Amino acid sequence: MKKLIGKGLLFLFLLFTIFGLISPIFVYKTQHMGKLEEGLYLSDDQYDVVFMGSSHMNGGMDPNVIWNQHGITSFNYATGGQPIDATYYLLKDVLKKHQHPIVVLDVFYLGMTNQYGERGLVSNAIDNMKFSFNKLEAIRNCTPPEDWIPYLFPVLKYHFRWSSLQQKDFGFDYSSVYYTKGFEAGTNRYGKPISKWEDTDNRIDIPPKTLEYLNKIVELSKTENFKLILVNMPCDYSEPNQQSGWVDDCEALFNTVADYAESNQIPFLDLYDLADDIGIDFANDMNNSGHLNLWGAYKVSTYFGDYLTQNYDLTDHRSDSAYAQWNEDYKHSQVASILKK
Amino acid sequence: MSFVSIGFLILLFATVLVYYQTPHRYRWVCLLAASYVFYIFSSPVYAIFLIVSTVVTYGSGLLIGRINSGTGKQKYKKLIVVFSLLINIGILMVFKYADFFRETYSGLLALFWVSVATEAFHLILPVGISFYTFQSLSYTIDVYRGDVEPQTHLGKYALFVSFFPTLVSGPIQKSKDFLKKIDEVHPFDYAGIKKGVLLMLWGYFEKMVVADRLGILVNTVYENPSKYHGLESILASFFYTFQIYCDFSGYSNIAIGAAEMLGFHLAENFNCPYFAKSIQDFWRRWHISLSTWFRDYLYFPLGGSRCSKFRRCLNVLIVFTVCGFWHGASLTFLFWGLLHGIYQVIGLLLKPLKERAREAMGIKKQSIGYRIIQVAITFLLVNFAWIFFRADTMENAFLLIGNMFQFDPAAIWNGALFQLGLTEPEFIAGLLGVAIIMLVDILKKRIDLRTALMSRNVVLRWTVYLAAVLILMLFGVYGSEYSAQSFIYFQF
Repeated sequence: MKKLIGKGLLFLFLLFTIFGLISPIFVYKTQHMGKLEEGLYLSDDQYDVVFMGSSHMNGGMDPNVIWNQHGITSFNYATGGQPIDATYYLLKDVLKKHQHPIVVLDVFYLGMTNQYGERGLVSNAIDNMKFSFNKLEAIRNCTPPEDWIPYLFPVLKYHFRWSSLQQKDFGFDYSSVYYTKGFEAGTNRYGKPISKWEDTDNRIDIPPKTLEYLNKIVELSKTENFKLILVNMPCDYSEPNQQSGWVDDCEALFNTVADYAESNQIPFLDLYDLADDIGIDFANDMNNSGHLNLWGAYKVSTYFGDYLTQNYDLTDHRSDSAYAQWNEDYKHSQVASILKK
Repeated sequence: MSFVSIGFLILLFATVLVYYQTPHRYRWVCLLAASYVFYIFSSPVYAIFLIVSTVVTYGSGLLIGRINSGTGKQKYKKLIVVFSLLINIGILMVFKYADFFRETYSGLLALFWVSVATEAFHLILPVGISFYTFQSLSYTIDVYRGDVEPQTHLGKYALFVSFFPTLVSGPIQKSKDFLKKIDEVHPFDYAGIKKGVLLMLWGYFEKMVVADRLGILVNTVYENPSKYHGLESILASFFYTFQIYCDFSGYSNIAIGAAEMLGFHLAENFNCPYFAKSIQDFWRRWHISLSTWFRDYLYFPLGGSRCSKFRRCLNVLIVFTVCGFWHGASLTFLFWGLLHGIYQVIGLLLKPLKERAREAMGIKKQSIGYRIIQVAITFLLVNFAWIFFRADTMENAFLLIGNMFQFDPAAIWNGALFQLGLTEPEFIAGLLGVAIIMLVDILKKRIDLRTALMSRNVVLRWTVYLAAVLILMLFGVYGSEYSAQSFIYFQF
C-alpha cells in the first residue's frame, strides 16, 4: 500500500510539474498577459505610481502622458473585468517588486454583487500571476471551488486550444506592452452623449465581498506603507445599473464610497463628476459607453498628472539620465503617435 | 456523480485506500458506504427507489428460498416473483415510460377523433434505475429457478445491487457470479490496481477524446437534420456509430477498471462489436451483459430457438422490441430494437439461400474476402439502425436518411465537413482516435496489452503513463471552454 501511495504521489508530482510547464503555452496571449508579465516580472523599472483595477482604468490612465508631462514613472496593471478581490492579490504581487508606490485604485468593481467575477475575465489577472502562496490565496478567494484546479494549472482550462495554437503561443512578444506601460485604449469615438439622469444624494451599501476587499486594500496600505488614491472613471452608468450581478444605482454607490474615503482619510477622485472640469466630451472622448478612448484617456491622464504633482511630493525624473529610456519609450507610445498627427 | 469528475476519482481512490486497510469481514461495509455516497451525490432523493428495489428483491429472495427449501408454501412462490417483478418493473415503468404511455394513449384516441387533454409528467429518471432493477430482478428469478441460494445478508445483498462502479450504467452483474465475489478475499494487489487504472485510462480515452469529440459533429447534424445533406448526413451517421461505441465501451471500461482496483474482476461488456460477421454475432459482442440478460431472462423463457422457426422468429422480434424499449421510451428506440429483430429474422430465413449461393459461387466460408464482406454488411446494417437510435423523432430519422441521397461531392474538398462543429485538426483527431480504438480492438484479441506494457522497463512504462494522462487532459473534450471572446470582451 505504501508503494501505491508513494508512486501515486510521485506520478502526480511529475504530472502537475508538466502541467505547470506547459500551461503558459495554452494561456491566451492577450495584452493583459503581456502587461502583467512586463510589469510584474520582466521590467526592472521602479514605478512611483501604479494603477490598479478594471478595464476603466486600463484604458483611462496613460503612464506615458504622465511621464511626458510630469516625469512621474507609473505602470497600469488594470485588466478588463478585474474584480476588486483579484485586484487585492495582484496588488500584493505588485508590492513584492515596487516599494511604497502610490496606488491608484479604480472603484468601478466595488459595484459587483456576484460572489465571483466572470471566469474568463478573472483569468486575465490570475492566470498571469506566477506561482506563489499569494496566487494560491487569490485562486481560493476569487474563484469558485470547482475552478481551483484549472486556475492552478491553466492548461486544464485552455486545453481545447491545442488545435489553434500559433507561433506566438510559444514565444509571446511583450515589447509593445513595454512601450505602453500597461495602458491600452481604443480609438473609436462613441458618438453619443451620456445618458442623463438626476443626480442623487442617496447612499447604498457597498456589496459585502467588495467592501471586504476594499477594507483589505486599505489595511494593506497601512501595513505596507503606501499611499492610496481611489478613482472613479467617466462612464455611462445607466448600463451597469441594469446589469445583473451589479448594484442598481452606481451613483448612490459612489456617494457611499466618497463617505468611506472621507472617513478613512483616503483621497477619492470621482472623475465622472469632474468630467466637465477635465473637459471630457462624452461623444468624442469615449471609446464606447463605458470606456474612455485614447483622446479621453489623454485628458484624464493630464488631469491626474496635475493632481499628483500638486498633492504629492514626486520627483520629476525627466532630466535624470537614469530614466533616459523613459523618454525613448514615450516616442513609441500610442499617445505620441496621435500627438504627432 | 459522473465517472468523468474529480469527485468520482477522489471517491474511488479513497475507497481503495480504506478498502484494503479494512479487515475482510467488514469490507462490504466500506464498499456499500462508498456506493451509497456515490449514488446520493448523483441522485439523493431517488436513493429511496434503490433501497426499495433492494429490500423488495432481498425479501422476495428470502421467501422464495424458504419455499425452495420446503419450509414455505409452494403456491406462493410464483406470487412472490410476480410481486417482485411488479414492484421493480412498476417503478421503472412509472419513471421511464409514463409520458410515453400518456402520449400513446392520447394518440390512439385521436385516431378515433377523441381529443383528450393530458399533462406531461416530466418525471426525472432515477440514475441507473434501468440497470439496477434488471440486476435485482435477475437475482429474484435466479433464486426462483434455484440457480442461486438466497443471500441472507442484507448488507452484502445491498452491495450487489448498488456496487458503485457498475451502478449507473452496468455492466449488469449476474447474482450467481457477483455475490460470490463479495465473499472472496481480495488481497492487496499492486499490479491488479495498476491494471485497473490502465483500463480506466483507456476508457477515459474512448469517452473523452473520441466519443465526446465525435459527438460535437453528430449533435450539429442531428439537431438540425434538414440543414445537412449528402456527405454531411452520411458522416454524422458514421460518427454516431463510433461515438456510441466509444462512449459506452469507454464507460464500461472505466467501470470494469474501477472494480478491478477493488479486486472484483468483471466480464467484458464489449468485444469488438464492429467486427461482427452477422447481427446475431453483433449482439454477442455488443453490451454483452444486457444481451445476456435478455437471453437468459426473456429469450429462453419464451422458448428460445428450441421451437418452430416461426416461434423462434417471433421470440427474436419480441426480445429485440423489448430491448429497444428498454433503451428509451420513444418510437425511435422501439423501431431500432424492432429493426435489429427484423435483421435477424431475415438473416434466419435467408440463411439457406445465402449458403446455397455461396457454395454455388465457390466462395469459402473462411476466406478473408467473404469475411470482410460479412463484416462490412453487418456494420452498415448496424450503422443504419443507429440513425433511429440517435434521432429525436422518426420524422427526423427519415429526413436524415433521405438527405443522405442528396449527395454533393464538393463537400469533400470545399471544407463543408469542417463547418460541422469540428475544425480540421479536431476532425482528424476524431478519426485518428477511432482508428486507434479499432486497432486496439484487433490487437487485444492477440495480446494482453496491459500485461505487455507492465512488463516493460520503468522509463518506458512511466513515459507511457504520463503521456496517456497528458493526451487525455490535452485532447479530451471537457471543462468549460473559455472562448477568446470572453477574454477580449470588456478589454477597453
